[in-house]
Amino acid sequence: MADQVRILHGNTFVVSDDRGDIEASPIDPSGLFAWDTRFLSTWVMTVDGQRLGMLSVDDLQYFQTQFFLVPGTGTVYIDAKLSVLRLREVGDGFRERLEILNHGEDPVELTVRIAAGSDFADLFDVKNAQQKKGDLYARAERDRLVFGYERETFHRYTTVTAQPRPEFDEQGLTWTVRIKPQEGWTAELRVAPTILGYGGKPVLLAPPIVDMAGDLDRWLAEAPHLESDWEPLHTTYRRSLIDLAALRFAPLSSGGRSLPAAGLPWFMTMFGRDSIFTSLQALPFMPELAATTLRELAARQGTRLDDFRDEDPGRILHEMRYGESAAFREQPHTPYYGNADATPLFVVLLDEYERWTGDKALVRDLELEARAALRWIDEYADLMGDGYIWYRRRNEQTGLENQCWKDSWDSISYRDGRLPGFPRATCELQGYAYDARVRGARLAREIWRDPEYAAALERKAADLKRRFNRDFWVADGEYFALARDTEGGQVDALSSNIGHLLWSGIVDKSKARAVARHLMGPRLFSGWGVRTLAVGERRYNPIGYHVGTVWPFDCSFIAWGLRRYGFKKEAAQIAAGILDAAEFFGGRLPEAFGGYPREVTKYPVQYPTACSPQAWSTGAPLLLLRTMLGLQPLGDSLVVDAALPAGLGRIELLGIPGRWGRVDAFGRGTVKVPPTSSLRPSLAAAGR
Amino acid sequence: MPTATETFFTELGKRGHEPLLRRVTGSIRFDIGSGRSVQRWVVDIDHGDITVSRRGRGGDCAVQTDTETFDRILEGHDSTMAAYLRGAIGAEGDPELLMLTQRLFSESAPVAAGRG
Repeated sequence: MADQVRILHGNTFVVSDDRGDIEASPIDPSGLFAWDTRFLSTWVMTVDGQRLGMLSVDDLQYFQTQFFLVPGTGTVYIDAKLSVLRLREVGDGFRERLEILNHGEDPVELTVRIAAGSDFADLFDVKNAQQKKGDLYARAERDRLVFGYERETFHRYTTVTAQPRPEFDEQGLTWTVRIKPQEGWTAELRVAPTILGYGGKPVLLAPPIVDMAGDLDRWLAEAPHLESDWEPLHTTYRRSLIDLAALRFAPLSSGGRSLPAAGLPWFMTMFGRDSIFTSLQALPFMPELAATTLRELAARQGTRLDDFRDEDPGRILHEMRYGESAAFREQPHTPYYGNADATPLFVVLLDEYERWTGDKALVRDLELEARAALRWIDEYADLMGDGYIWYRRRNEQTGLENQCWKDSWDSISYRDGRLPGFPRATCELQGYAYDARVRGARLAREIWRDPEYAAALERKAADLKRRFNRDFWVADGEYFALARDTEGGQVDALSSNIGHLLWSGIVDKSKARAVARHLMGPRLFSGWGVRTLAVGERRYNPIGYHVGTVWPFDCSFIAWGLRRYGFKKEAAQIAAGILDAAEFFGGRLPEAFGGYPREVTKYPVQYPTACSPQAWSTGAPLLLLRTMLGLQPLGDSLVVDAALPAGLGRIELLGIPGRWGRVDAFGRGTVKVPPTSSLRPSLAAAGR
Repeated sequence: MPTATETFFTELGKRGHEPLLRRVTGSIRFDIGSGRSVQRWVVDIDHGDITVSRRGRGGDCAVQTDTETFDRILEGHDSTMAAYLRGAIGAEGDPELLMLTQRLFSESAPVAAGRG
């Protein structure tokens, strides 16, 4: 497969090869996708029957790519007197400008063709190679080519139009072109997806897009400005801001406001967990993402018991989908609720958002939803009646087995590799529940003016903390068990989850040092970051999705947790490792990379099918910046308490938005971190 | 015997105030059924205060569907979003109103029952 080029806006994206061509196979995620449906699966340009060869590809913007091409493939070009440019821009579908230049001294006559087609695969078909159940059609008309798919009242179609007008046939479009010497020929194409709703009328699932370039400029201008002696940090920061802009997603009811979608290509939709974590990471930079996330998740909060969608009253959704499998209830995603963490995290985000922005109105607005979320923890999540959050799917066909962030089948295991039965109570869920109650209590006391409710939440939080530190503590290893099983036993593998416990504040002070020692020890710390599962555990695998890889998002919350308990140096060391890794990926951190020891591989090995860009990886450098600078809202001011790795030199973060207006933060790298994880000085900084 | 749809609107009219909709103000017209047997309900919401009537025109959102689809949604066998994506229920005007009010459509889906 040729290198894949992706451009996107919201949940519309195009994946093509480096010539701009699309030749999708049933299991290959190339094509034009919108709303979880592939609207174009074939888009191949030829000149006189010849495929084109790539000279260069420029990603001009996240929504715009330019391909410079010549006829012929391979190292010897058959005709180097022609060059071909394709400029593609994603919006509502995509627009493409073709330009052919004749560099020769004679006129040329060419047959320019674009072969086109669509299989209307549901994103879940692409993942699982499913057969279509409805009927595909293609219709060549005088002015357009239409591909469509119908199944009962479900109807999606794609319209291809072009100027100047080509000859359309059912497999594509053809121009016969004459170009004089030293002149060029240009065509404009448009590929538009349409969703037909009730009565065959087109429906909009999101507000229309306007002025993407201006919008991106505004987005970048509104973010705080970063200055750093360590040049790669500029690249990573800018990449993060642009990718976050690209991953914005405006659901139907949001009035055009955006929240972060989870990632490209599989997860361009609203996910409770991912949208919340990313909003938390981005709070000091773009607080409005958190406001939209909170409003939209609240509007879709569970209200009933529904086994198929694993819905309970008060539960925050897991995943929303718009494709055929969701429409026909072959998948439960309208929305699906099967997760055990987004509900407490919803309350955590609401409190953290108010601490930064002072937006009490939203906290008052969402009081009922926040109370319902807190009630869910007590009434619906405590499946064993022992005061902990447990999960077990009720949809046994298409529901998720593991309803925590490590959601692959083998992620939760004992040291010896056995998998516990269900329900399961993973440790980080208890931390989130604790934090949600503590933060909910603050909101109740200060904003909802309900001191009795606040006191009750605080009592429950204190009780949970006491029991948790007793029941989950693995005494012989001095760490917290990954989970509790139904017999009350400890699922005793050592994992990165213990870092989230520090973030939530559920760890007794007396136990925190031992936890930090594990996180920075050789079994968990790879030199780049913290492995999801420790070396030495039976299921450890350095390229196992949740059983040994390093997740930048995970590390960013672990670093936050370490700072919370005063481990500044350790937090700086994790920040240094992840930011170093980001440099290897051109500033764009993947979802996960291999857990190999840094001194062995020297560079971070990308996990094979990792999603990229992925929202919470994109957010990781932002949270690491916050953590290193020690940014913490305190009343109406922002406290800065920097602890930066020495290799970073000086950092200035200017214009941090919040309830204080905008303030600046400064820091100088003074924390010596061990050599395996120190930022290499860039050329620019070498002379300092 | 009244259909699930008729029972739903009768009950909705008795609800008075619905806290889940306290941020919602607007009027939704439901035209349910097909041909000559279309039944109409107009639901007015004012910051969560609900009134239901059988007459009226306009509405900020006009919802159209057939009786079977709406009954299935109310019984918890189908969901509004799935039906909307399938083209089995329509919402003209401001579809956001339908998405916000659909949370009232069923109190409970069949629990621990057979699923299709």
